[in-house]
Amino acid sequence: MAAKSPADGTPRRPVLSVSARKIKDNAADWHNLMMKWERLNDNGFTTANKIVNMKISEQFQDNKLEIACDNSATESEKSTPKYNEELDNCCAELLETLKHMTKIQLKMEKLTSTTKAICDLETFHNGAGNCTAPFFHTWPTPYFYEVSLKLSEMYKKELQLKQTIVQEIAHSADQDLMMVYLSSWLYQPYIENSSKLLLEAMLLETGHRQC
Amino acid sequence: MAAALREWAAVVARQDAAWRAALAAWAPLLGSLSGLAAQMRAAQRLAWGGSPLRAFGDLRARLWRKQRGAAEALLEQLGVRRAELRAVRDAVGAGVAGVLRLYEERAAELGLAAALRRGPRCPSLADALEGLQDVERYYRHLYLESKLLLRRVSCDNLADMEALPQSWERILERYKEDVVQDTLLKISLFVDNHREPCCSPGS
Repeated sequence: MAAKSPADGTPRRPVLSVSARKIKDNAADWHNLMMKWERLNDNGFTTANKIVNMKISEQFQDNKLEIACDNSATESEKSTPKYNEELDNCCAELLETLKHMTKIQLKMEKLTSTTKAICDLETFHNGAGNCTAPFFHTWPTPYFYEVSLKLSEMYKKELQLKQTIVQEIAHSADQDLMMVYLSSWLYQPYIENSSKLLLEAMLLETGHRQC
Repeated sequence: MAAALREWAAVVARQDAAWRAALAAWAPLLGSLSGLAAQMRAAQRLAWGGSPLRAFGDLRARLWRKQRGAAEALLEQLGVRRAELRAVRDAVGAGVAGVLRLYEERAAELGLAAALRRGPRCPSLADALEGLQDVERYYRHLYLESKLLLRRVSCDNLADMEALPQSWERILERYKEDVVQDTLLKISLFVDNHREPCCSPGS
């Protein structure tokens, strides 16, 4: 015989455990996305480094040619810039890496909005201002959203920086600027050191990591 | 004495392998620090306001923090390698002290003439003990130089940080003579020959 429904007729427990499973899955997704991002970052750095080395080498060749031209007859003999196929390929590769990173950042935003939806659902079921038991150990549900949002914002800003780097790196003649592009790509200034800690804490809370 | 020298030589052979491995790890780490210093200097020289990065107002400060963090991580790794060098210095030093203490206890019994006696293919006991002190001095001095080199590394002096690989090469150049292997050979000859009648008695 089926158990009687609670007075309001709304079965709450199955909804909550579905939400808890979703939050747990989201934590695993965060981990996977952040690992994929790091791999793309490493690949992107290798490609950007090649681009910078080619640009510097090109400048060196141009300078040598300029000196040779200065020593010979006329202004009109100066050579036109040559098409560099390898440079072009590296730029295309870097652009492709950026596209993959953009997809990852969009997925991160999706995870954040899903988490927000779960918080809103919980608020709806329990009434605003009422405390509920945490899904897992200690984290109130809104904290999952807070962490997701923080991480998502970091990666969004970082992506904006990477977009600028990809647009500009092959067009710069300033070696210091190219070095700064490389360094900025590698060290990801907008992804704070706390991101690793936030992820690990989330994995610990949701049971993906054991204490 | 021969037995004590033989035992010491075995310890040093093992420790020297650890020493060489720790030393070999320094060059790539110093190379990374040098590259990082070049990046930090480029960021200092850059006219940020006139670059495409001007839209990222806090980028300069953020990048600097990350670069400093990376420098600190590399220095920590170098610190681990320095600790390995220190462990070898301490182990060898303790071994040398032990052998010298043993000689002091037996000096009267052995006699000075015996300690100084050399054979055609056999160094004297004094030669062997001098070798021990040379080895101890080599590890102690090179360890000190490595410690001083690291002490001077600072993000406030990027030019020096960038020149670290060259500074390290200059230090190693001063210690390129293979004192350890020469001494181990000397001790091996002494130990092999101490049974022969031409050489000092030893024990």
